[in-house]
Amino acid sequence: MDDLYKEIIIDRYQNPQNRGVVEGGVEAFEVNILCGDKLKITAKIQDGIMEDVKFEGGGCAISMASVDMLLDKIKGKKIDDIKKIKGSEIEEMLGVELTSVRKKCAYLGLEVVRKIVNLDKK
Amino acid sequence: MKKIFPIYQKHSKLAYLDSAATALKPKSVIDAVCDYYSFYSANIHRGIYEISEEATKKYEEARDVVAKFIGAKSNEIVFTRGTTESINLVACGWGEINIKQGDEIILTVMEHHSNLLPWQILAKKTGAKLKYLGLKNGQLDLTELKNILTSKTKLVALTQISNVLGMENPIKELATQVKNYNSDIKILVDGAQAVAHIKVDVKDLGVDFYAFSGHKLYGPTGIGVLWARSEILDKMEPLNYGGGMIKEVSLYDSILADGVDKFEGGTPPIAEVIALAEAVKFVENLGFDFISDREEKLMSYLIEQISNIPNLKIVGQGSSLMTFVIEGVHTHDVAEILNRYGVCVRSGHHCAMPLHEILGVEATTRVSLGIYNDKDDIDNLIKGLKEVGKIFKVKLPI
Repeated sequence: MDDLYKEIIIDRYQNPQNRGVVEGGVEAFEVNILCGDKLKITAKIQDGIMEDVKFEGGGCAISMASVDMLLDKIKGKKIDDIKKIKGSEIEEMLGVELTSVRKKCAYLGLEVVRKIVNLDKK
Repeated sequence: MKKIFPIYQKHSKLAYLDSAATALKPKSVIDAVCDYYSFYSANIHRGIYEISEEATKKYEEARDVVAKFIGAKSNEIVFTRGTTESINLVACGWGEINIKQGDEIILTVMEHHSNLLPWQILAKKTGAKLKYLGLKNGQLDLTELKNILTSKTKLVALTQISNVLGMENPIKELATQVKNYNSDIKILVDGAQAVAHIKVDVKDLGVDFYAFSGHKLYGPTGIGVLWARSEILDKMEPLNYGGGMIKEVSLYDSILADGVDKFEGGTPPIAEVIALAEAVKFVENLGFDFISDREEKLMSYLIEQISNIPNLKIVGQGSSLMTFVIEGVHTHDVAEILNRYGVCVRSGHHCAMPLHEILGVEATTRVSLGIYNDKDDIDNLIKGLKEVGKIFKVKLPI
């Protein structure tokens, strides 16, 4: 029955690997007005590479697990490649099918990551 | 009771516990909408033919029914799109004329955004100041009132029943204090969460404006009411100018209609108005003694059952709604898992973000009761909450 709340999602929600702040890094922030989720990501970007990235915030299991796993995925990657990440890849990463309402939760991390990589451009 | 709500024919296992957001509709209300569109869907106040007269008669009879329901006169009932529009009408139509720079508006920290934003905007436009009554032990702190009333106070606007905390505010007591201080101060009550649960008599409350929506009263969406005494309405300006709200129009000037017609420009939601009267009759036939007795008994059962859920903390509770948080589980996840049991609850900040900040919680889960709810619905809720605990491995505190 429980596709959405797989062990890995609950585990990531309860034991996040990428919580924290990258001191002196760039930062971006977004909220999900529907449920009040808040997410801030700080990152250190050097020579077009995502050197380090962390998140702070509060939200549902889906949004928090999603961002935690996404940061694993983008750490050490080229900014140009990160820019190409599509929403559908988030679902693949979580390994679940999402309803349109829960997509908003799951994509929150990607939204803020996109803000971060576009900051770097400026 | 569920038999008279057609939604249960399609969703027989539905445990609808979100009546504070919108109530389900009984068959009589749905039939009233259908009948209008099927059999006499003519415009009102215009045609000299039979079906237009029938529509006009039913529309105006609806005003009488609604007026009687809240202890008012028919010429004091303005139909609006809902509570939000009713309050905006007061903010624009009364506030912009009567509120000046330096004047003060008193609100409470528990207001729904619909009784907050219109005053914020008005205050910004006019240079007026907003002041707030806070909470004490989870209740409205009325003792503060005497400290914040001043000669500059022009309006006190507050909700009768909080859509988050669930309790009923002492409106009558507040009105007495305010009017004793200065009888010119106007009082607006947001009755959105009250009208389906308690008997309202606007004259007895001693207030000046009363706003509510049809859809939380088992009626249609898109229809609401603003009540104010006719001498106040006469000096207010409408939100909409156009057809149906005039007496005489020439190329460069017009004379507006008298009474409540002035506020109902354009073709109104005729079916919704007529169906709202059906909703009122539905509630009146049940009677508020029956309604509150049923809701209070079910609420006691809910409290008793929910106390067995580990790490659940009740944030607010009244006779027909309660909000809670489960430590370690986000409210959105709670609602998602409950949905699998056919249980509909609201999760989030319930359009009361400032209150949630004051309470120190990001979001809450809200269970709110309607007349159709029974013990089965509560049992399903409890089953769902146990599953939440299982999925999130919530443990009883040691």
